[in-house]
Order: sequence, then C-alpha cells, then structure tokens
Amino acid sequence: MGGEETLLRVEDLTVALETREGTIEPVKEVSFSVERGEAVGLVGESGSGKTLTGLSLLGLFPPGAKPPEGRILFEGSDLLSLSPSRLREIRGQKISMVFQEPQSALNPVLTVFTQMEEIYKSHTSLPSSDVRERILGRLREAGLPDPLTVSRSYPHQLSGGMRQRVMIAMALALDPLLVIADEPTTALDPTVALQILALLSRIRKSSGQSLLFISHDLSHVRRVSDRVLLMYAGRIVEEANSAIFFSAGPRHPYGRALLASRPEGATLTRKDGPLSAIGGQVPPLWDLPPGCAFAPRCERADDLCRFTRPSWQTKGEGRVFCHHPVDTPMGAPVHAA
Amino acid sequence: MQPDPTSPLLSSEGLVREFELPGGGLFSRKKSLRAVSDVSFFIGRREVLGLVGESGSGKTTIGRLVMRLLPPTRGRILFDGIDLTNLSGGALRSHRRRFQMVFQDPYASLNPRMRVREIVEEPLIVHGIGSGKAERRERVAHLLERVGLSSRDMERLPREFSGGGRQRIGIARAIACGPDLLVADEPIASLDLSMGAQIINLFSSLVESEGMSLLFISHDIPVVRYLSDRVVVLYRGSVVESGPTGQVFASPRHPYTRLLTEGSLPSEPVASGEIPSRHSPPDSVGSQEAGLCAFLPRCGDSLPECRTSPPIRYSDGKGGREALCHLLRGESDWLPLHPSSQGSPSDVPIAASR
Repeated sequence: MGGEETLLRVEDLTVALETREGTIEPVKEVSFSVERGEAVGLVGESGSGKTLTGLSLLGLFPPGAKPPEGRILFEGSDLLSLSPSRLREIRGQKISMVFQEPQSALNPVLTVFTQMEEIYKSHTSLPSSDVRERILGRLREAGLPDPLTVSRSYPHQLSGGMRQRVMIAMALALDPLLVIADEPTTALDPTVALQILALLSRIRKSSGQSLLFISHDLSHVRRVSDRVLLMYAGRIVEEANSAIFFSAGPRHPYGRALLASRPEGATLTRKDGPLSAIGGQVPPLWDLPPGCAFAPRCERADDLCRFTRPSWQTKGEGRVFCHHPVDTPMGAPVHAA
Repeated sequence: MQPDPTSPLLSSEGLVREFELPGGGLFSRKKSLRAVSDVSFFIGRREVLGLVGESGSGKTTIGRLVMRLLPPTRGRILFDGIDLTNLSGGALRSHRRRFQMVFQDPYASLNPRMRVREIVEEPLIVHGIGSGKAERRERVAHLLERVGLSSRDMERLPREFSGGGRQRIGIARAIACGPDLLVADEPIASLDLSMGAQIINLFSSLVESEGMSLLFISHDIPVVRYLSDRVVVLYRGSVVESGPTGQVFASPRHPYTRLLTEGSLPSEPVASGEIPSRHSPPDSVGSQEAGLCAFLPRCGDSLPECRTSPPIRYSDGKGGREALCHLLRGESDWLPLHPSSQGSPSDVPIAASR
C-alpha cells in the first residue's frame, strides 16, 4: 500500500439513466482526483450531477442506471470492477459518507450507541469494552459535550446540529481515508452550520483524512476546500485552486455568474442596482444543446459555443471547459449596472 | 378615514404567542412554549424589513401573526392605523387584499390541479376585482409578465415549472390584488442560487417601482443585508437587536448578531452549544423561567448580571437602533428603554417539554 499515490482518481465517469424522456447522462465524462489529506469542494446547483457523482464513489447508482462507464481508482483499484463484498469492505472502512439530512440517514428506532456499535461489529472484531470506548471517543471528537447521554439517545431526541455531529462521528468511526460529505450543512441553521464546517476542517487537519465536500453553498465550499470542482448539467466545467477561484474569480462564465448572483460579503444594497442574476434556467438533461450546455445563458457565447462542444483549457493548476474563459480578475463581484 | 402617510404601514406592539405543549393534564399544569415574546416592530411605507433568526426564533410565527393566520396570545397588530387583532370574518377579509403572503415552499403552496390562470385569478374573484372574465384574464396576463412569466403560461400547471417558476406564480398570486404589504417567509431558501437572485431582484423591483412594503423573513444574512432597509434580529422569540440594516450588520451590538454576521472561518466552534429546542432544552430551564437572557448559555461575553437579572432593552435614541443586552450599560449613546415593559420573571413562562 503506497502512501504517495493519489487516493482517488475518477477517470471519464459517465452514468446514464433511462427515463421517460429518453436516455440522460446526469454524470458525463467526469474526471478528477483527490489527494491524501486534501479537501475538495464539488459545487453545483440542483441537477448538476454533484450528488450522483458522490454516490458513484460508494458504488451507489439510482434505479434505471446503465452500467457506468469510466474508472474510479481508489488506492489504485477500480471500484467499478470490484466484487460486491470487496466494495462493501471499502465502503464504510475506507470511504464513508455524511448525508444532508441526518434525520433520514439515522435509524429512528435505535439509539446512537446501537447504531455505532453496528458499524464496529460488522467491520471489526474489537471486544465490546473497546467498542464502547471508541464510540464515546468519536462522539467527543465530533464536539458533543456529553457523549454518554448522546449515545443513549434516539435521533429524535437530538437537535439537527447534534444529529449531524453524530453522523460525522459515525462516518469517522473506522478512520476512513476519504469522507464524502453531501450538503452536510444545508439543513442546519447558519451558526450551527459554521460549527459543523469548523469541525470538519479541524478533524481533517488532525487526522489527515481526505474530504470531498459536496455543496451548492459557495461560502461554505470556500471555507473548507483546498480545491474546487464546478459542475453544470452533468459535467465538471472548471477545476481550480480554491483560493484563486474565490479571489481572482472563476474562469468559467458560469462560475463567474454564480458568484456574482450572491450578495456575499458585499456591502451593496438593492439601491445600488439588481443582483446580476443568470437568466434562464438549467436545460433539461434530455434536451442539451449541441455545443456548450451553458451557452444559452452565457453572455460570452457565440456560434462556436452554441454548436461546438468545448474542450479543456489548462492554466496553472486549473482547467476550464469553455471556449472563451474569463481571464480578467474579478472586479466588482455583485454589481450589475 | 385618510391614514397618515408618515405613520408606519404596519406596527406590532408587544406581540406574544404561546403554544400549548402536549402532555400535562389531570394533575400537572399544562405547559406552554412561548414562541414569540413581547415583539414590537414597525414597517414603513415602501420599506423592506428583514426578520432574521434561526429555527425556533419565532420568525415564521411572527409572519403568520402579521398575516392574521394565527391570533396573538397578547399584543396587537396595527395595519395602516387599523387594529387587526380583533377583526375576524368579513371585516378581516376586506383588509386582507392589502397584505399578502409569499410562502417558502413553492411546491406545497400551489394547488397542483389548478392552472396558472386559475391560481392567479382566484384572489381577483374572491376580492371582486375586475368586472368580467375578459378583464380578469387581461389582468392575469399582465401579472404574469410582471413577475417574469409569460401570458402563454396561463394554461399550464404548476408541475411544469421549476422551483423558481413556481415561486413567480406564488408572487403573481400575492400581488394580484395590489397589496401594500408582502410578507415573504424564506422565499428563496428552496431555490437554486441563480434562481434566488432573480427572485430577489423581483422583490426589489416590486418595492422600488410599485411602492410595496416587504416583510422579508430569512436566515440568509447576505440576502437580508442586500435587500432590507431595516432589520430585526430574533433569538428564541425575542427581538435581540433591531435597526437600520447597514449599521446593525456593520457594528452589531448584541453578541448573537455578531455571531450571525461572523465572516471568518473560526478554528474552533463559533459558539459553544446548540440552539435550544424542544428536544435539547436550554442548559438551564430555570434561567429561562427567571426571564434571563435566552442567549446566555451560548454567550461568550456574558457579565455577572446576565445570570441574575433579565436583559434590558437599550436604544441609541434617534438612530433607531435597539438591543436587548446588559453589555450596553454605560455606553454613552445608549439608554435603557421603557423599563416598565420589560418582562417580569413571572411573566415569562417558557417551559420545555420535559
């Protein structure tokens, strides 16, 4: 087991689904990697394919999915060609997931203790006393001040923030190498969300795990990620260093427009003019334009964009799937005269 | 009766709303939860008031009280000088067209079997606006275009629209009778980013060009900051701070407002502990019953008196700012406000369910 190789490398992953409207590809030619100890943010709006991409890494595909194309290399072995039992071993032990809604991801009729105990029983042969100690230790690490009481509680007896902390404790139970967090802060109140983000960052820094943070909330992605992947209509359209993405600005016009559509951190008010909203809406996946999927909403689009699929343009650490990427640093981020 | 144009469009005075909790009964006293506790605010004409708070802060209950979808336990609501609190039936209905609501969930708040035309036309029929079918239809077409839809959308069903499109239908319905006040409860919380910006711009233009007032209820601080003229910050049913938006967010005076506006990534949890809820009651229910500051268990700046006496509401006088916090004592421009209306210990029966 080499410590140097890339932890996760996804190569040309395509997930196709049969629907009433025809075959759609909610995940299309997706390639990215996650290094050991790295936090990668996967950003996109609903329907962009970010959740499905995350689930694919666990070998979970929606009903109606065709066999996925491409490769998902985790520590060098392709998850898509592993036997179900090997996959189950990796899932849970080496890759774990924190879901958006802890109330639906936790079993309502079992105590926190029983649910965590189950993880250890099915994946390890630790004696009960060790299991108990680990459970309480994990809950404490997740920032729960009274682990004993929490462990005896049922999910409904806990607040949303506490439930999400329990989810995180469970995800970390077996010291996984990669934690996938799918919108872990969306169902939470803003101050609690900040606590959870701080917790995720702190745990990752102290234990060296990798994190794939899936979210539509740009400010949250900015807080936790080293690198950002932006998705639109099933494809990754930009990859960038997080600091550059949020300071100089995204190079893809979609990323640029998305950032500008939030009054984030700015002191502008409605008296200064409208927000620069992106016109139109995401095209349905069964009716994508022949060229760039963002072209119908893009201010920079020309005939090349409308009829020819873009190709990757690389610059420094980043790459962008666009014919006409933006290369000027971000000016006034909110203003649209 | 010609109302005074300089008076607020809507004002709430000492609003209290309690909900009875399940349990109690034969021998034990019924327990109640005070969701809204002595809340006073006003909304000016052509003004956007942001109502900010997290879950359990009472912001949705206040929206429902203002809409008279719920009666208050105590306190009153004045709309354009008229006391709505004791109105009911037809008397209330005659005023209803002047204040309308936009709901959070555009999926649940539209009848899936009704066509867009019927949805937007219904309030016109109820309030007897437009003399005939043709005139109403023309008005519906105009309304749809006003909210960024097209008159061609009239015969479509809600399910044919995205979340943003449905929210536009909801807004068209709300503005159909030309209300003076819109109450919007988290109207963009369930929308995608790019849709959210379009809806915010729509609200903004309704205020700027149609002169509507807006009560904008949200937990989204950047959006409230952008959209509202004044802001009211709620915590556990009480107004902890209020004032002009720019000032409140630039220099928050209540520790909770400071927490909400926190910009940088803290290395450690921002506030210790969770927001108290029914299932995780505040650390010391006793302190709640004594009328002490509800934020005390999470506060990093508390003073000794925070543990012994209820917080005091201070005002900066002409600036229009208020904050409910002991920390303001001795600040040169801040003075305690009408101490008589401070809740006395026996007056604050907040109880938890266990």
